[in-house]
Amino acid sequence: MIGALARMPSTLRTFGGSQVSNLVGLLIVAGALALTLQHVLQHSASFFFQILIIGIADGTIYGLIALGYTMVYGIIELINFAHGDVFTLGGYFSLALFPIFGIAEGKAGFGYVIPLLVVAAITMLLCGVVNVAIERVAYRPLRHAPRLAPLITAIGMSSILEGAMYLWRGPNSLHYPDLLPLTRFNIGPVNIGVKDLIVITFALVLVVVFTLFINLSKLGKAMRATAQDRDAAQLMGIDINRTISATFFIGAALAGAGGITWGLYISSVDPFLGFITGLIAFTAAVFGGIGNIPGAALGGLLIGLIRAFSDSYFDSSWTEVLIFGILIATLVFRPTGLLGMRVPEK
Amino acid sequence: MKRLRVFVRENSRNPNAIAYTVMAIGALALPGIVQFANGGNGDFLVSLAADGGVYVLLAIGLNVVVGFAGLLDLGYAAFFAIGSYTYGMLASAQLISSPIHHAVHIPFWIALLIGMFVAAGAGALLGAPTLRLRGDYLAIVTLGFGEIVPRFFRNMKDWTSGVNGISALDVPTLPFWITGPWASTQLAIEHNFRFVSFNPTAWYVLVVILIVISVIGVNNLYSSRLGRAWMAVREDETAAAAMGVNTVNTKLLAFAIGASFSGFAGAFYGAKLSLVSPDSFSFIVSITILSMVVLGGMGNIPGAMIGALLLYSVLYYFLPGAPAQATALAHNLGMDWLNQSSPDGWPGIAEFIHRLQFIIFGLILVGIMLLRPQGLLPSRLRAQELKRGVHDESAVVTT
Amino acid sequence: MVRARGLAVLIIATFVAFACGGSTGGSGSKGEIDIASDLPTSGADASSGMPTQLGAAFAVSRAGTVRGYSLKFVPYDDATQGVHDPAHGVQNVQAMISNKLILGMVGPFNSNVAKAEIPVANAAPLAMMSPSNTNECLTVTYPYCQAADGFTAESLRPSTVNNYFRVAAPDTFQGPAMADFALKAAPAGLGITKIAVWDDEETFGQGVANNFAKEFAAKGGTVVDRKSYDPKAKSDFHDFLASAKANGAQGIYVGGTSATGACKARGQMAGLFNPDIYYLGPDGIGDAQCITDSGSMATANMYATQGVADASQNPSAASIVAAYTSANPGSNNLGAYTFAGYDCAAILIDAIGRAIDANGGNTPTRAQVITALGQTKNFQGLTGVITLNAAGDQTTPTLQFQQVKPGSPGTWVFKSQFAVGGTS
Repeated sequence: MIGALARMPSTLRTFGGSQVSNLVGLLIVAGALALTLQHVLQHSASFFFQILIIGIADGTIYGLIALGYTMVYGIIELINFAHGDVFTLGGYFSLALFPIFGIAEGKAGFGYVIPLLVVAAITMLLCGVVNVAIERVAYRPLRHAPRLAPLITAIGMSSILEGAMYLWRGPNSLHYPDLLPLTRFNIGPVNIGVKDLIVITFALVLVVVFTLFINLSKLGKAMRATAQDRDAAQLMGIDINRTISATFFIGAALAGAGGITWGLYISSVDPFLGFITGLIAFTAAVFGGIGNIPGAALGGLLIGLIRAFSDSYFDSSWTEVLIFGILIATLVFRPTGLLGMRVPEK
Repeated sequence: MKRLRVFVRENSRNPNAIAYTVMAIGALALPGIVQFANGGNGDFLVSLAADGGVYVLLAIGLNVVVGFAGLLDLGYAAFFAIGSYTYGMLASAQLISSPIHHAVHIPFWIALLIGMFVAAGAGALLGAPTLRLRGDYLAIVTLGFGEIVPRFFRNMKDWTSGVNGISALDVPTLPFWITGPWASTQLAIEHNFRFVSFNPTAWYVLVVILIVISVIGVNNLYSSRLGRAWMAVREDETAAAAMGVNTVNTKLLAFAIGASFSGFAGAFYGAKLSLVSPDSFSFIVSITILSMVVLGGMGNIPGAMIGALLLYSVLYYFLPGAPAQATALAHNLGMDWLNQSSPDGWPGIAEFIHRLQFIIFGLILVGIMLLRPQGLLPSRLRAQELKRGVHDESAVVTT
Repeated sequence: MVRARGLAVLIIATFVAFACGGSTGGSGSKGEIDIASDLPTSGADASSGMPTQLGAAFAVSRAGTVRGYSLKFVPYDDATQGVHDPAHGVQNVQAMISNKLILGMVGPFNSNVAKAEIPVANAAPLAMMSPSNTNECLTVTYPYCQAADGFTAESLRPSTVNNYFRVAAPDTFQGPAMADFALKAAPAGLGITKIAVWDDEETFGQGVANNFAKEFAAKGGTVVDRKSYDPKAKSDFHDFLASAKANGAQGIYVGGTSATGACKARGQMAGLFNPDIYYLGPDGIGDAQCITDSGSMATANMYATQGVADASQNPSAASIVAAYTSANPGSNNLGAYTFAGYDCAAILIDAIGRAIDANGGNTPTRAQVITALGQTKNFQGLTGVITLNAAGDQTTPTLQFQQVKPGSPGTWVFKSQFAVGGTS
């Protein structure tokens, strides 16, 4: 039996890089799309668009979180398990900040746009600081240790953050106030909520601004250089520690913004929200191509859509299996993801 | 006698030998001590210790994959689930409600072996497509597998009762050649040795025997050709392949053999708990087992066992007991107001201590890695590596 | 060497720590009898489990002794990381079984925990007395139990002697009663004809939602959508709500508990539905957490059933209820099943007393306690007069309706209650 299995990988290997695997992948995708289409046709078009919007809203938030995973992985090759909990922390911080700025349930309106944005900014800042501190305490001392060591501290930090939120606000889920306008309008057969539009716009703006920042700014260049070759970057005069800290800060700020958006969208947060959401966002990062920034955004969007359509058109109990199946399939057949470039195994 | 003395002197400086000795003595003495300390009412502690044995078995198995062969596995609970479900379906009335409509009652001792082989098969099956992945990618794939398997069992309602899990599992029965024809008479030496929930000592003895068998088996593997091949693959796969090691078979066998122990553990766990539920095999279980191996010392068998014992006693004995003890302490100190929950958010000291447990678990993980990354009882070889950091390519070795 | 010795000390310390757990309690005149409880009393479930445990503890301390034996209450917590866990429950039951002083237990709280525990307790045997389990297949083998839940009352009882009893009305009443109420025209009911149903994939949630949907469809209503979601993975219900709305649902029924997020979907209905849309559920949603999760949607159009009577409607219970509230002040110590917990412990004590009598004044065996428990007749409880049948159910359980009274914060208030026919 072992012998037969042992021969299998070599066939897989020939599959991997070749056109055949791409063809197989395309066939699977085409089949899935055809099946979806068949299911979609059984329901009304307006329902389809509604699910589409839900998928996009979820997906852009997953994308926001996935950016942090992909950046950190790109630069120090670490799966930052605590990242999902930093996302939850965004929800908790903002909940604590709302009363200070006089924001409460039912106070939607233009007068609250500025305070809401201020809360978002402070939350992003706080999340960034927490993540930088985590990097400083738990990851930096282990930068030269075997891979397993920072992976375990990451899981440990995740547990500490969950525990901190659990201790802070108790074990139950907290209601997140409805701050966005609840009005909905119709465009043809499509029923759209203003809330959905705001959530999608907010998340999209952040993703775009951030991608531009990475591509155009000096710090972004330093990040990309460090990700490519840390030693060479250091020789070129880049402060590695500062660059890594900046990466953690920006990733966490985006996750914190994601936490607020998520809270506004689904109206509740709980201490363990970040675990499964984080894993899904991480899958999105891998799907899009780990280390690749537009890839993470695209992966997030696709995973959000897959999730929404699988939940409502198929059986929701298989959605998680599908998503983690995508994770495995991506790594086995196309480790570079959708948009990633082939990098030699370090 | 002299030989014995020489043997003792030679090994008195060997931490592994000391650890084995202490564990063996402890394992023998534990039932007696807990019964004595609790006035004959210590059964629940024996039972707890028997449950801890499951984690020792799992740690031994994961140590083969992670410690010996260096394959990062974040989804080991999947194999544990496969082992438990194999036993649950083959040794209960479960399959009556499945499409085959017949209950299967395979005796425990045979089901133990079946569980082992099924888990090993699953290990090889998972191993095959992931063989060309290294390091973190492998970790991610195993993580995905670890998430999928319990959900799969949860969703296969017709076969596994879904979220309700399988209960009323068969208990092991001793074959007549052990209990003997005098089994039911007063002559029987072990007339109380029945596997029922009110006799945890029988379960305890069984798990200790399973552990001893596993330790002997793994020790032999470790010093065999295969064990050396694992280490070669762990240190440098390319070099190992160049030296003529069949890396594919070596890695597959690591996955399969590592998984087989969780098949053991799963069958025992299912039989003792009389329950297999899909919620018992979550990510946190994989992480706990991994932490046990790392805490004890990766790549060292007694290290992994000690890590499992220590972490198990903290997570399943000290932390769950802490809230009640804190309540009693506050009461004895005359500070009963601490025990009452109050509307301003104080949940009462018991709940407060309970809420601390996630932070404590996290601090243990971070603390171990920062303070003693090689573990409490490291394998000497790996300890050297960790000190010099040969794994960090960018620091020392140019590639 | 030093390190090795340190390690040896560490290992020994672990063993010693294991060895020195727990201690035996004090003694009464004839000896001690323990009553255990197994309820989720930490984390998110604590808000329902803790008040129930307090109720049971109050009954034991109020009785103090039984036939000259001193009584002691031994609480166990079946929550793991704050959520009720069947595996943890079974471990607790195994610990109870090995403690010879424990003659019966109050609990468990959740049906999936009961499903896991009954076979273990049954083999011992140990008497179980649950205040709040409602899944009907736990006590009676209906034709669909095996297919729907994967177990039957018989398959859970390997010894064939029933050891499990409960006071709450099974879901064969709870689900259909809500369905009838929803279907009935305006003043007597809600007048809903189209409803969407979802559950949290648990033994309890799925069972009660199925019972609701079956009755709703049988009485002429239409179930426009029927979904099950794993609460650990699902927190965005917009897709389900959109589907419900697209299919013209006038309300939503949830089979679940607040601890598994049953009311998060209610909170997300804001905007998508008018605030007067109906949200119905079983006893699992009748608590403060549900109102928190509902946010601005915590309107008067939320209804829940409760499987037991409201003790405050029972005049003869008033003095004990008052004594309890003065001993355990605070609204968080009063849950829907507090006095059911009290009754369970009191019934158990009563049964132990009769078992002692039957055994000539000596300590009864656990099997004798089970026999006596099965003979419980016309017990004057706080939640009503309780008679237990052979299957383990109350002969005439009571069902209670609750409605949300909006406010800040809103509360669940008593609406009506009525006895429902027994199952024997």
